[in-house]
Amino acid sequence: MKRKTMVAALALLMGSGALTACGGSGGTANQTGNQSGSQAPAAVSSDTLTVGLSADPPKLDPKLSTALVDRQVMINIYDTLFTIGPNNEIEPGLVEKYEVSQDGKTYTFHLRHGVKFQDGTPFNAAAVKFNIQRDQEKDSLQRSYLTPIVGIDTPDDYTVVLHLNKAYSPLLALFTDRPGMMVSPTAVQKEGADFVNHPVGSGPYEFKERVKGDHVTLVKNPDYWQSGQPHFNTVTYKIFTDQNVEVANLQSGQVQIIDTMPAQQVATLSQNPNFTVINQPGFGFQGLYLNVKQAPFDNKYLREAVELGIDRKALVDTVFKGAASPGYTPFSQASSAYNQAQDTPPQPDAAKIKDLLAKGGKPNGFTFELQTAATPVSVQAAQVIQGMLSQYGIQVQIKQLEFGTLLDNADKHNFQAAALGWSGRLDPDQNIYSWFHTDGSQNDEQYSNPQVDQLLDQARSQLDPQERAKTYSQIMDIIHDDAPYVFLYHQNNLIAYNKHLTGFEYRADGLLRLATVSAQ
Amino acid sequence: MAYVFQRILTMVPVLFFLSVMVFGLIHLIPGDPAQVILGQEATPEAIAQMRMKLGLDQPVPLQYWHWLQHALAGNLGQSLVDGEPVSHLIAQRLPVTIELAVGTILVALLIAFPFGILAAVYRGRWLDAAALFTSTVGMSVPSFWLGILLLIGFTVKLHWFPSSGYVPMWQNLGQNLHAMVLPVVATGVREAAVLMRMLRSSLLDVLHQDYVRTARAKGLYGWVVIIRHALRNALIPVITTGGLQIAGLLGGLVITEQIFALPGFGSLLVQSVFSRDYTTVQGATLVAALLVVVVNLVVDLVYGVVDPRLRLGKESR
Repeated sequence: MKRKTMVAALALLMGSGALTACGGSGGTANQTGNQSGSQAPAAVSSDTLTVGLSADPPKLDPKLSTALVDRQVMINIYDTLFTIGPNNEIEPGLVEKYEVSQDGKTYTFHLRHGVKFQDGTPFNAAAVKFNIQRDQEKDSLQRSYLTPIVGIDTPDDYTVVLHLNKAYSPLLALFTDRPGMMVSPTAVQKEGADFVNHPVGSGPYEFKERVKGDHVTLVKNPDYWQSGQPHFNTVTYKIFTDQNVEVANLQSGQVQIIDTMPAQQVATLSQNPNFTVINQPGFGFQGLYLNVKQAPFDNKYLREAVELGIDRKALVDTVFKGAASPGYTPFSQASSAYNQAQDTPPQPDAAKIKDLLAKGGKPNGFTFELQTAATPVSVQAAQVIQGMLSQYGIQVQIKQLEFGTLLDNADKHNFQAAALGWSGRLDPDQNIYSWFHTDGSQNDEQYSNPQVDQLLDQARSQLDPQERAKTYSQIMDIIHDDAPYVFLYHQNNLIAYNKHLTGFEYRADGLLRLATVSAQ
Repeated sequence: MAYVFQRILTMVPVLFFLSVMVFGLIHLIPGDPAQVILGQEATPEAIAQMRMKLGLDQPVPLQYWHWLQHALAGNLGQSLVDGEPVSHLIAQRLPVTIELAVGTILVALLIAFPFGILAAVYRGRWLDAAALFTSTVGMSVPSFWLGILLLIGFTVKLHWFPSSGYVPMWQNLGQNLHAMVLPVVATGVREAAVLMRMLRSSLLDVLHQDYVRTARAKGLYGWVVIIRHALRNALIPVITTGGLQIAGLLGGLVITEQIFALPGFGSLLVQSVFSRDYTTVQGATLVAALLVVVVNLVVDLVYGVVDPRLRLGKESR
């Protein structure tokens, strides 16, 4: 018992943010946990569900939200026009049926009847029009996603017709996310700028109150349109700034479900019979930006040498212990554009790397600076990469930065290599376009290839997912050759909950949809 | 009274200097609030729009001037991240940290006084050795380590205390105290170790002075001499240390707050630096500085109560 406590304490300490400064060397102690957790399972209340969140959601208004964690709470306050199915297919939400015109420029949505917002306002075509127009306003942060929509008609109360200026295949997938979250028009008019603090949707739970930095409380929407749902009277989101502490709170019974956890804790928690652990690929990817406008990576051969010199499988095994999968494209298994052959990283090939270095004019290797976030996991990953590349004479100088600074440097192209990935979205376009299109907002590597631009635009106009997937494969062939970004791995969604909870339906976006969850 | 007033007056330039420093320093940190708020996918137009909305497109001195004008009128502005009034955020978070700091000092005093006195009285004997050894251990164990051990032992394993779930005192005192026990012990032990050593050595110093010997020669009992005569004089350095400790605790409890998921002032400050929430950083540091100055003032006034020789004004002559 004592030993176990020590092991658990060590695991906590090693992952703890408190030790960031000397992180990197630890992480093996928690592998010894082969015992089954013996502490009594905490009883679960059927009245209140407490959810652990790894950050404080800044803005609970879909129009103004940019933080990932906002979506965790918003997905239970708001219904979306479409939703994600178990196999990542797009399913009806508030839109029951839809048609698309041949040219992909006209969408007709048939809305669900009998839905009301939590303040009693009826959900209808006017509300959908109001929401889309609101998301297109100048101060909306969803504006850029909805630019192709140039006209909205409402022929009757339950039909909405969207007119696009060009075919735009990501549209429906976007409506499973923030742009598809329907807010009550009456509440927006009543609250004005304060709507963000008094959000009203039509979802299973209504917003009640929040204390910034501590908790957000939702209560049951008694008139929810899905009969029999939701099951709890109250849902409280408790905010933890340290993920190890979040896990400890799941174990102590203070919270019953957590949105994420450190990769090192997955093995231990999975063996504990009191908890269910979900460890599934999400839509995201991680990798290294290589600045193609700056030495040494203005040289394509040197970029390729780095790309081929990293053993992704070894990296993932060392750092993530099964909580991530090696990757070579932005598209994980969960994506409709997933191409298994293409996403399988090549094995490092010393002869080929030597050849590339010679072609690049650096036969004896070279040195570059890798900027990375100063979190234990990122730093450990950077150190593993450093070790791998040094075999080929490529010396990596690791520069640890606080995340805001890293983001700023990346945005200003003030780096040689920068370790920055993406949390991922359902539609493949949202995981590739803005990284590699010349005008893309996340093209921090300053890559520009007219052929890639043209193919990226072409994919947006292709409505058939299989045709699109082919285009993306073509794009990835070019990107692998040019190597402006080194794809490394796909991070998994790591969710854990108390065994006494039932009905949780996992989706690859990692969001905790709570309408169906109940206590046993 | 005049003394207090004079002390308060000297605070003004200190606070002004500090506000200029903080404003300058935070703008020197690389990273842009608009970028941090909007995240990776932000378009340059969205960033420009956001900077304008937040008033960050104006020259820094002008931004400071605006801030100062509002601050003098008692308005600390709104958080750049979520628009919440900074004064509201501080009012929400500060009581948590003050409670934690006061609790920590109480725990520290409860441990330090009996053991410090015993160690001094039984100097060189096993009790002294044991107390010194324990205090060395107490000082060497970082509070976050102790906090994590307490968390795992008493919440995950034993379920004696909640691992999180702070409730304000005025809402439910019992629940509040229940949640505060572990954090207060985690930080209190270390402070106790420091205070105990200070008390022991200061008391030893006093015990060898003539007036103590005189008191003993008058036939007073040992403990009366120690408590009524020696301890009072030995307290001055202890109060100084304790004051410094409280001041340090107000900003130094971040990790404890993190481990026990307490929505405190320290984590507010750290989070706002990370998110480049300039107005919150500015307001919070100002309040923190104010607190330190006030604590120092209180300590000085307590000196006067404990030691009549230090009293200012008529009676000191």
